[in-house]
Amino acid sequence: MKVSVLFFGATADEAGTREIEIDFADNAKAEEVFGEIVNKFPRLGNHKLLFAVNQEYAGGDETISDGDELAVFTAVSGG
Amino acid sequence: MPEKEIQNPKSKTQNRLDFYKITTEPLDVGAIARKIVPASCGAIVTLDGFVRQFTKGRETEYLVYEAYEPMALKEMEKLVARAHAEFEIENVGIVHRLGRLEIGETSVVISVAAPHRRAAFEACEWLIKELKRTVPIWKKEVYRGGETWIEGAN
Repeated sequence: MKVSVLFFGATADEAGTREIEIDFADNAKAEEVFGEIVNKFPRLGNHKLLFAVNQEYAGGDETISDGDELAVFTAVSGG
Repeated sequence: MPEKEIQNPKSKTQNRLDFYKITTEPLDVGAIARKIVPASCGAIVTLDGFVRQFTKGRETEYLVYEAYEPMALKEMEKLVARAHAEFEIENVGIVHRLGRLEIGETSVVISVAAPHRRAAFEACEWLIKELKRTVPIWKKEVYRGGETWIEGAN
């Protein structure tokens, strides 16, 4: 399955991109997919990261499906 | 950044005067507050959050705000719904600006109308605290000799 992964702010700088598409085994758990993304961009490990699946915060137990929109970002700092 | 304005794509909140949006346009604080005032209210509390010049002794030159826009709107919508569930308020307006903001420019406005002032103050304080914790918006601080993305406490 293919999923898109979005980066913002600090994570976009660390990954050197704002969006990638990755292939993953069907029905993978969110934590496996996010672990793979951090392996791919080790500098993300310098930050405390938050994850989202389809624009909702993800805890890691979610099952990822083809076409899902994932996001990796640092603790938010709006206001 | 191109100008843009995204407003309640499909609001699930019941109250017709609630609104929330993100925009790259300058914010008119008074206009935002007036939008949410119904006849049943006796108080409106508005937070005008703007770009601070000095943070912990370091002088900021300007800030750049970025959002995960569709998720930010969803989280803002949840905040409005939760505020209605927790406080005796009538209407809420939230607007966050994106892009480059100079010192003193308004970055966020939260306006709460309520029959009585106490609930309006409490809800406004709660809303900004929760917005800073949950809405996916980030600020980059640019200062002389460097820049850094601010990472929230959460």
